[in-house]
Amino acid sequence: MGQTLVEKIVSRQAGRPVHAGDLIGRLPITKLFFNDVIGPPAIKGLANLFGETFKRHGKPVQVFDRRRIFFLPDHSVPALSVEVAEGVDLMEAFGREQGVKVYREGDGIEHVVLIEGGHIVPWDIVLGTDSHTCTNGAMGALAFGVGTTEGVYALTTGHLYDFVVPETIRFELTGTFGKGVYSKDLILYVIGKMGAGGCSRRVAEFVGDGVRRMSMDARTTICNMAVEMSGRTGIMPYDETLGAYLKGRAQWPVEPIESDPDARYADRMTVDLSSLEPMISFPHKPANATPVSRVEEMIARSQAQPTPDFPAVTSDRITDAFLGACTNARYEDLVEAAKVMRGHKVHPDVSFVVIPASRKVYERAMDEGILQVFVKAGANVESSNCGPCFGSHMGVLSRNAQMISSSNRNYQGRMGSREARIFLASPATVTASAIEGRLADPRKYL
Amino acid sequence: MLSGTVTSVFGNDINTDDIIPAMYLIKSDDPEYFATYAFVKFDPDFRTRCLKSQANIIVAGKNFACGSSREQAVYTLQFNRVVCVIAQSFPDIFYRNCLANGLPLVTLEDTSGLALDDRLEIDLDAGLIRNRTRNTSHPFQMKTDDRRTFQAGGMTARVRAHLEEILTRQG
Repeated sequence: MGQTLVEKIVSRQAGRPVHAGDLIGRLPITKLFFNDVIGPPAIKGLANLFGETFKRHGKPVQVFDRRRIFFLPDHSVPALSVEVAEGVDLMEAFGREQGVKVYREGDGIEHVVLIEGGHIVPWDIVLGTDSHTCTNGAMGALAFGVGTTEGVYALTTGHLYDFVVPETIRFELTGTFGKGVYSKDLILYVIGKMGAGGCSRRVAEFVGDGVRRMSMDARTTICNMAVEMSGRTGIMPYDETLGAYLKGRAQWPVEPIESDPDARYADRMTVDLSSLEPMISFPHKPANATPVSRVEEMIARSQAQPTPDFPAVTSDRITDAFLGACTNARYEDLVEAAKVMRGHKVHPDVSFVVIPASRKVYERAMDEGILQVFVKAGANVESSNCGPCFGSHMGVLSRNAQMISSSNRNYQGRMGSREARIFLASPATVTASAIEGRLADPRKYL
Repeated sequence: MLSGTVTSVFGNDINTDDIIPAMYLIKSDDPEYFATYAFVKFDPDFRTRCLKSQANIIVAGKNFACGSSREQAVYTLQFNRVVCVIAQSFPDIFYRNCLANGLPLVTLEDTSGLALDDRLEIDLDAGLIRNRTRNTSHPFQMKTDDRRTFQAGGMTARVRAHLEEILTRQG
């Protein structure tokens, strides 16, 4: 029987052929990273849980392989509190002691920086202490989020324990996007069709001509949101575009990977990209997706049948807009958003926060005059970090706020007040809405 | 045998931001700290209800605790004396975080026979929930490995043994 991408990757690391449903007692992993939220407790956890064992062997506490581990302060930096600052200090001290790479505050978001730096390659098994670790699946890697304790286990031994090989759903993408439609619109559409739990315990494998025609920036946006339909992760095969991206960048050997033609899938879905229009997800979950042309209808529906995760929306007015986060603040996202922004001003009633996803993206956008477009239009451009998506700084929402965001989660209270309403959309749609002060279709600006 | 009272009944797609909002995660690395802020935005009465019972059971619909990988969501429940969550389904990350911390999760396709204030006994070995309030019982499936891990309170002992092997091999 043929194998899916996940079955192939796990087979190689487990050292025997496996299929969906097989249990691997000890699965070696190849890359591991921590952010500023989980890094500090994980460092303490390593000493607390395993310090005695090392001591008994007369050895200092040490990580499993310093070359495969990364610490990235990105959620609450530049440090927003004494606690965060001391957590970053702890990561830096640990990095020096263990010889592990620790990025600087402002270097960017974990799911963007490691890919940019060529640290993630096909066939990797990547663990990160953040649910959007699935973003790295765009590199032909098996990548998913873990909690603190499993992060500590992996830090210590380089393994994941009792891993059950997941089933895969195959999403075949065909056709080409129309004007003003992007990979964000595709993934919001898919999540809307699948529902918040529709891919639960399964991997979303994205394949087809539609994927092959997409840039790496566009692909990462899709894999980033696989977890929003509760997918175990998202993943894509190796192709020429990925090969070209990794050329001169990869820090590890690059080897192609694709699923077998006779691999077994739990389900299949085909989407014609040319049939899509810009999408907007209504509060309070990403699965509340609607095409932009049906916003009025969706508002009426929310008033007629409100539920706890689909509350009544009283107007299409926007008070806050956010272009950033690990979903959509890469170079191409900023380029597309700037096309919309040029020649316009941010609406006087809107606070528009723009946060490039990494220092490299920031510098390139600055050099090419893209950041200036946003600054001149009245946006607040901030240094690289997760921004208001983490709900702690850089644009926390009031009870009266209606935010449109290029991020991946619009849960109740996610970015501030529990009364605030958050809508999700592509960078172009976010920018068009920031101009008009209401939910807007970006196509008329392009 | 686990026993307790159903003190919360939730619908589908409760997320870990609902259980513990992000802003609290960066305030402390003491697992007990988060309990005070349990469901503070989604269900502010949750903690008051939990404080009234020595052993709380949550009953929920599909996809309980989806979203963020924050393990603090597990601590938040444990330090509110939640001894078990019974739901129609759980996403992977939360399920694995509960395995690692020994918070038993029971998957039950039809939860309609369980209601607020019901007294339950949950027998993990037998795979059976006994509802002492209604005198009904509900069988459930749980993988043997998962049951052992829940009962052992997590995987740390196994990982220690593995580390012993590695260090011994290194000499």
